[in-house]
Amino acid sequence: MFNQIKDLAGGEIYLVTSLLMFMLFFVIVGVYLFKLSKNHIKTMSEIPFQDHKTKLYEED
Amino acid sequence: MQLEKFTYDNRIVRNFGIATLVWGIIGMTVGLLVAMQLFKPALNMGSQYTTFGRIRPLHTNAVIFAFVGNAIFMGVYYSLQRLLKARMFSDALSKIHFWGWQLIILSAVITLPLGFTTSHEYAELEWPIDIAITLIWVVFGINMFGTIIKRRERHLYVAIWFYIATFVTIAVLHIVNSFELPVSFMKSYYLYAGVQDALVQWWYGHNAVAFFLTTPYLGMMYYFLPKMAGRPVYSYKLSILHFWSLIFIYIWAGPHHLLYTSLPGWAQSLGVAFSIMLIAPSWGGMINGLLTLRGAWDKVREDVTLKFMVVALTAYGMATFEGPMLSLKQINGVAHFTDWIVAHVHVGALGWNGFLTFGILYWLIPRIYKTELYSKKLAGFHFWVGTLGILFYAIPMYWAGFTQGLMWKEFTAEGLLKYPNFLATTLQIIPMHVLRSIGGALYLTGVIVMTYNLAKTMLGAKLVANEAAEAMPLTKIVVDSSPADKAWHRVLERKPMKFMVLSLIIILIGGMVEMMPTFTIQSNVPTIASVKPYTALELQGRDLYIREGCINCHSQTVRPFRSETERYGEYSKAGEFVYDHPFLWGSKRTGPDLHRVGGKYSDAWHYNHLVDPTSMSPGSIMPPYPWLIEQQLDISTTASKIKAMQKLGVPYPEGYDKQANEDLKIQAAKIVAELKQNNIKVKSDREIVAIIAYLQRLGTDIKANKETIPSNQ
Repeated sequence: MFNQIKDLAGGEIYLVTSLLMFMLFFVIVGVYLFKLSKNHIKTMSEIPFQDHKTKLYEED
Repeated sequence: MQLEKFTYDNRIVRNFGIATLVWGIIGMTVGLLVAMQLFKPALNMGSQYTTFGRIRPLHTNAVIFAFVGNAIFMGVYYSLQRLLKARMFSDALSKIHFWGWQLIILSAVITLPLGFTTSHEYAELEWPIDIAITLIWVVFGINMFGTIIKRRERHLYVAIWFYIATFVTIAVLHIVNSFELPVSFMKSYYLYAGVQDALVQWWYGHNAVAFFLTTPYLGMMYYFLPKMAGRPVYSYKLSILHFWSLIFIYIWAGPHHLLYTSLPGWAQSLGVAFSIMLIAPSWGGMINGLLTLRGAWDKVREDVTLKFMVVALTAYGMATFEGPMLSLKQINGVAHFTDWIVAHVHVGALGWNGFLTFGILYWLIPRIYKTELYSKKLAGFHFWVGTLGILFYAIPMYWAGFTQGLMWKEFTAEGLLKYPNFLATTLQIIPMHVLRSIGGALYLTGVIVMTYNLAKTMLGAKLVANEAAEAMPLTKIVVDSSPADKAWHRVLERKPMKFMVLSLIIILIGGMVEMMPTFTIQSNVPTIASVKPYTALELQGRDLYIREGCINCHSQTVRPFRSETERYGEYSKAGEFVYDHPFLWGSKRTGPDLHRVGGKYSDAWHYNHLVDPTSMSPGSIMPPYPWLIEQQLDISTTASKIKAMQKLGVPYPEGYDKQANEDLKIQAAKIVAELKQNNIKVKSDREIVAIIAYLQRLGTDIKANKETIPSNQ
């Protein structure tokens, strides 16, 4: 119960890597969201309404 | 380019819908029965097959995997086809999936009351059924990915992302938490022991909530709510952020089920930190859902399906706020092991899963039958009786949880426990349990009314088994002609397999960070010299303890609180559980903790208590176990059990399996002799002797040998 992180002697790399992976993940998701175009978002959010409509063009 | 004509398979959707209704009624009825047994134990009708310990897992498995499971498949099979503009990949696979899943449920209905259980919560089914689940899950996966591959819509809508994450994560969770060494046809031991087994189990348990009760439902919410409201989701960007952060963060939070246990402290802290973070993505989803109704709130007044959706989302918001709060150590110290947790999960189960399922059923069934709902009035009645049911369920359970949690911790001015007799705290909350049953009955009434309403709807019209649709084929349409199309995230949305692999990597990170050190770094589970393997008789007794489901009411882990060490004895150490395949810490204390019960009472006390609990503890709500005297202990399994344990690393001497039954008989004879001194006559080959041996062993390894405990424990 009282084993704290000090028991991971020599495991600092492990801790720092975990933190970096965590940060990196959100940075990537952030960039992804930032780069999304409005048009694309609109098309995507309308997909549920097109199940019986025929789409005659492809979004670019 | 020619328009392609094709049909949507509605029959499979209807079949899963009917299965949802049938198993929903069965699962909730069993739930009501177990709830009533907590104030009237005689409702087990004197049978071992209907006793709380055996049918409480039947209730949880039925509502999670049968009711919610079938509802997921109903929602996925309906929305996936339409979002991809394609019929399901294979009608044959759809059928195999449907009937295979129903057979698995049926096998659970048979084996759990018979006492075949692994004891891991929500993963109780034994190894042959585990294999069947894996196979059927793969069938579902092939069918889903096959449909995705032959789709006519280039981009995958966010609902499908949730379905893919569900598929891949449940597969990983199920496989990792099913590493069992079979001992016989319906008996196995987990490869993991003690602390490690606990970590794997609650990594599984927590993420079963995340990826079986949450992500598929969020996917369904993102499809059905916009359809019901007639407007797109409030923010598609938020749905993307919400998706990635939810699947990434959820997987780390499992250890919050093990706070103050002997799990290493750093793993507990990690679990708490990620649980707090979980509020953000969870509320992102709730807010996105509720704001989808912006400008459409007038519809909520008229449309019963939207009413169900609004309450479902509100319940989701409440449960996902409460979860992180419960993972704070101070709150957890009071709430854990009490009815508070039962209230918490039922707000999620009854509100979020139940109401979302009902909303979808009311919306979807009339559509695949091209008709109107039989009675809107009855649906309105269902909504109100269901909502009342949730309130009557949750509020008394919160009350009971606070009351009991605080009573356990209360000291007198002299520094003694105010309620030293555990039973006093159980009896105090009986009225709350009665009220909770009324809540459950109200909720079940609503479900029965809905079933009648939907049955009438279905009988009054004809199923459109194959719904006609048309769309342009996808092949070779201006592939990657514009630079924007080459952006990596756009590519990802079109590459389902890569998407699945990425989701897999994301969900593996958290599990690995927590498990690897616990499994590999020695200092995380310090061994204790005086902890020895169970004797053959104790091992058999332990398996009876598992069979009877004692773990459903009794924990085996004393937390390092004065209120607990005072009541039970020395707090539990990681090193005490190294031979426990599986761990039996439990998650609820309807009765007292048993980790230090060994040597506390005489053998005669245990005998009388098991045969008639009220004889030793007047007013006890524990059911009697008379069959333990009638049934002969099966010692033909001893050798194979010892051998299995040896394979798992338990240090029995070489060739001990051949000698084990001799030792077993000697120990049994000793217990029988002691019982005889107290005028109790019982044959030494009865099951009760083994279970007494096990109970008397519990927690005794370090009782007299405190000096053997390492200093860092």
